[in-house]
Amino acid sequence: MKTSALPLFRRAIVDSWRATLGWSLGIAAAILLYMPLFPALGGKDSQMTQLLDNLPSQLVQTLGYSNITTGSGYAEATFYGLLGFVLMIIAATSWGTAAIAGDEESGSLELTLAHGVTRTQVVLERTLGVVIRLVWLALFSALLILALNNSSELDLKPANVFAVAAAYLGLGLVSATLGIAVGALTGRKVYATGAGAGIAVLSYALNAIGSQSRDLDVLRDFTPYGWAYHHTPLTSGADWAGLVLLYGFSVLFVVIAVIALRRRDIAG
Amino acid sequence: MNSTYALETRALAKHYGKTVALRGIDLAVKPGTVFGVIGPNGAGKTTAIRVLLDIIRPSSGSAEVLGQNPRTGGTALRRQIGYVPGELRLDGRLTGATLLRYYESISGPVAPGAIEALAGRLDLDLGRAVHTLSKGNKQKLGLVQAFMHEPKLLVLDEPTSGLDPLVQQEFLRMVREARDNGQTVFLSSHVLSEIQQAADEVAILRDGRIVIVSDVESLRETAIRRVRVGIMDAAASAVQAALAGIPQLTDLKLSENGELRVEATVEGNIDPFVKAIARFTVSDLALEEPDLEESVLRLYSAPEATDEN
Repeated sequence: MKTSALPLFRRAIVDSWRATLGWSLGIAAAILLYMPLFPALGGKDSQMTQLLDNLPSQLVQTLGYSNITTGSGYAEATFYGLLGFVLMIIAATSWGTAAIAGDEESGSLELTLAHGVTRTQVVLERTLGVVIRLVWLALFSALLILALNNSSELDLKPANVFAVAAAYLGLGLVSATLGIAVGALTGRKVYATGAGAGIAVLSYALNAIGSQSRDLDVLRDFTPYGWAYHHTPLTSGADWAGLVLLYGFSVLFVVIAVIALRRRDIAG
Repeated sequence: MNSTYALETRALAKHYGKTVALRGIDLAVKPGTVFGVIGPNGAGKTTAIRVLLDIIRPSSGSAEVLGQNPRTGGTALRRQIGYVPGELRLDGRLTGATLLRYYESISGPVAPGAIEALAGRLDLDLGRAVHTLSKGNKQKLGLVQAFMHEPKLLVLDEPTSGLDPLVQQEFLRMVREARDNGQTVFLSSHVLSEIQQAADEVAILRDGRIVIVSDVESLRETAIRRVRVGIMDAAASAVQAALAGIPQLTDLKLSENGELRVEATVEGNIDPFVKAIARFTVSDLALEEPDLEESVLRLYSAPEATDEN
């Protein structure tokens, strides 16, 4: 018991259950708000379609609402692409920031490292703690949407729901691990948060620009947001190349975090 | 590299850009002793200590802790160390008991009942959430997590800060018990008086350099004591004449109020003074505990002044 496995991971999970519960409620609220509205809004000749026809096409493209008349397009545009995306990025960035930079600025990283743990172990166990929480949020969203699939007439394929959840998770992982890496490099919360949130905002903005015209479409292949949603996993199934990029960069950021934290002085 | 010391540094230096925190210090701490590092804030005490724990890495020079380089000693080495950081900041909703279990899970094994016994000695309530604790109580938590696994080496940076005098005394007893138990204690303070009762040896650190390393007994020999004596049936002039020959005696004040009151400051050896007043009828004698800090500062303020000019 005294030398049980993964002590830092267990502490991270225990410390954050309140926050995890809070983010789960936020995701549930967003899904429960949007999905049941689809039968009233969706469909070829619905009011929503008429409304969108009257909006500037640039705005519709930016919001990703062009396929909103199908259940998959609707769920992707309203939840995974917008409100759910925002919730995931904020949760991922705050947890990624807290993992190293927050702990260092609060002064408790010093005392932890003075004990029988290695710096590599600190980065890996804390990253695992963040990953598990984000996996839960993505899985929870998928299960909730599947639970509403019939009542909300979304007509989604379960495999595709898990495909979009994997992409959704990938977006969270990129922001979280980048926050961890920048925290490990600098020890500063403000930089870690800036990086984690910054990459998401930049990515969303480039994706929006890219969706305006065929000439700019190529931009979407260079952003995490595009890797996640450009090929509409909820409609067409998993975009494996996009997932490899999302998860690959996350792994790279973790490697950078390990190397960075091992090399530098810890701030007092 | 197998040194006979529990802790040793050679020309240990650390600078941050142009700011020099340590200018090359040599320390050697024998196993089973209490070693104090005294110096004003900013002298480099914390920097030196953080190198020993591999929190920061030296710019040059080397350190050896329990015979190993802190950089490569890894978890096995750090499990044998109990550490209280200079700026202990503990927070969170978890209780003190839970926090200590967490630190137990990442350090050496803790004997059953050890945590409760330490908490009892320090009068610390382990059931309260950490973020509701006062600074002093957080400091007690820090002490418990450092002592609880009976580490071979205790590294305590300003361990008494925030503790009230009674708890400080209990802490000093814990330090002496640790030493009697064969553990080595390395502690820092900005006031010598806090640790002079517990330390075997003391290093004075100032501006990143060691000014002197001395055992507390030798410091005591250079100590400054204030004395107050009441003398009956003697004239002031006679007492003055008797004390005139004592070289280490200063600030002599005589006042007559029914009996003769003598106040003075004696530096170093007290014996000539005692012999000198022995010829009179002494009605009262008060000898203050020596203030080693004042002695040290007096001894070393001169060299430092020339350094800076």
